[in-house]
Amino acid sequence: MGSYLYQLYRGFQGEILAVPGRVIALIFVTLLFLLPLIIPHPIVLKIFSLAAIFAIFAASWDLLSGFTGQLNLGQALFFGVSAYSAALLNIHLGVPPWATIPIGAIAGVIAGLLVGIPALRLRGFYLALVTLAFPIILIGVIFVFPDITGGELGLFGVDRLSGSRVLDYYIILLVATASILVMWKLTDGRSKIVRTGVILHAIREDEITARASGINTVRYKLMVFSISGFFAGVAGGLYVHYIRIAGPSILELFFSFQPIIWTIFGGIVTIYGAVAGVFILYPLVELVRLHPVGETYRFVLMVLILIVVLLFMPQGITRWVRDHIEEICPRCKLINIRTRRYCRACRAPLHAEK
Amino acid sequence: MAAPFLEVENLCKHFGELRAVDGASFHVSHDEMVGLIGPNGAGKTTLMRLITGILKPTSGTVRFKGEDITGQDTAKIVNKGIAPTFQVVKPFRHLPVAANVMVSCLCPRAKRRGDWVKTVELRARDALEFCGIADLALEPASVVSHGDLKRLEVARAIATEPELLLLDEPFGGLSPAETELVGKFLRRLHRGGRFGRLHSEGPAMVIVEHKLSDLMKIVDRVIVLSFGQIIAEGTPDEVVRNKEVIEAYIGKEVSSLVS
Repeated sequence: MGSYLYQLYRGFQGEILAVPGRVIALIFVTLLFLLPLIIPHPIVLKIFSLAAIFAIFAASWDLLSGFTGQLNLGQALFFGVSAYSAALLNIHLGVPPWATIPIGAIAGVIAGLLVGIPALRLRGFYLALVTLAFPIILIGVIFVFPDITGGELGLFGVDRLSGSRVLDYYIILLVATASILVMWKLTDGRSKIVRTGVILHAIREDEITARASGINTVRYKLMVFSISGFFAGVAGGLYVHYIRIAGPSILELFFSFQPIIWTIFGGIVTIYGAVAGVFILYPLVELVRLHPVGETYRFVLMVLILIVVLLFMPQGITRWVRDHIEEICPRCKLINIRTRRYCRACRAPLHAEK
Repeated sequence: MAAPFLEVENLCKHFGELRAVDGASFHVSHDEMVGLIGPNGAGKTTLMRLITGILKPTSGTVRFKGEDITGQDTAKIVNKGIAPTFQVVKPFRHLPVAANVMVSCLCPRAKRRGDWVKTVELRARDALEFCGIADLALEPASVVSHGDLKRLEVARAIATEPELLLLDEPFGGLSPAETELVGKFLRRLHRGGRFGRLHSEGPAMVIVEHKLSDLMKIVDRVIVLSFGQIIAEGTPDEVVRNKEVIEAYIGKEVSSLVS
């Protein structure tokens, strides 16, 4: 027992404490879990609850468009389908939130498959154009049945997740952490448990070679569409039960572009980049909004930050930070902290002399 | 008599007016190494692509072990046991060399056939070792030289444990020393056996190649293609003396001058 615990500790030390990026992530997640104890202000809690929801949303876009290269400009469709089905079930049939959110996620999967089928034939800009159309179609459908869907005003009075704000926050945070961990593991090319990561990378890099390697790319693409739909659906369900309104604004163009902005800001093709992008940009914009001057200029500020960051860190902010604190060993490709002179595993010199 | 291993019958592919492959028929038996040669633009690569389903034929049939596989999906054909390599190397550039091969090891066929080997990493490693590029396993494919990428293509193909390898210019862009090495290991693979954890039953091979002298050393039989049609077939010695083949390569008048 003692030796097992010791091994666990050594594993933790080698896998997390020795890699600065993971240490930062660990500290960040710990702080998020302690947030209600540090700043118990309701507005701060609300901002970070929504940020956690949007983190799932942005990560699901990164999973689909970043990893498999299926440019999707209508990610709001999955979010909206799930939000509306959760709200409809909750209002008209009185289904409680713990059931509506999974059902909403399944609706997201179906929406994902619906978009995925044309995606098998289309590529690049053409696919983007088609995906752009789907949420607009759904808005049209919503306006046709105002009695059921609430039309332009949306659906009011959806049940809350739980009785208290702090409990809401913890539920959302737990679901978000779990979802993001799952997505991260699914896309991790070095994972030895789940092998999808390396296949997804392969499909993005060269689809014909992937097929020539015997990989059924059609199945994997549809799988990614449905997984992305699932997690966007989870985010949609949480969102509608947190904000308690399901309106057509969640299907609008801006809502589809938000995850793209966050992901590119944080670093595309890294699930954690999307998450970091949300947790940096979203609270910043919302906090500025509290000030009367900031209210009018918040989007100008956001765009300015975006332009500056992308000018100096074109790969996204997380990659830039990683490059400055981590060094990959030239021999064994293990991640080391930058301050080391020799690799922690193979003792190869990390900084080759010029 | 058992059904022939690979049987191509009257295969045609037309791109508009251009007849890239025009009624090609040949067969390959399960213990052969066949060379496929012909001048530039003869339709060799197109023929390979038709067999593996990357291009759909205009007409004609391809049968593999008695089963009609004409125009099926590439992944399906690969899982039946035909592994192609490409003339223009197409690695997954951002992935490490080992991961390039791992993708092949993850296809349903390799999983089914090699389940007595525990890990995908080890099998990928053995395929690389067999092709002599195991030292590059951790480097991203984008920094690897062209010659090594050619060998990576072969490693990727043999990791699916094929029964028929279709090699499109495996010697293209290799130095003479590398060419000899690759030729030798292809011959060794064809004989079959166990190479580390990699089990080879000696796949049949079809090799498209321009370096004729090197090709003739390793193949059992040669098929000559010109303007989409098969003009000669036979052992290397027969083919190099065939008048039609010489004409196709260097033209009619010159060949009459030579003789």
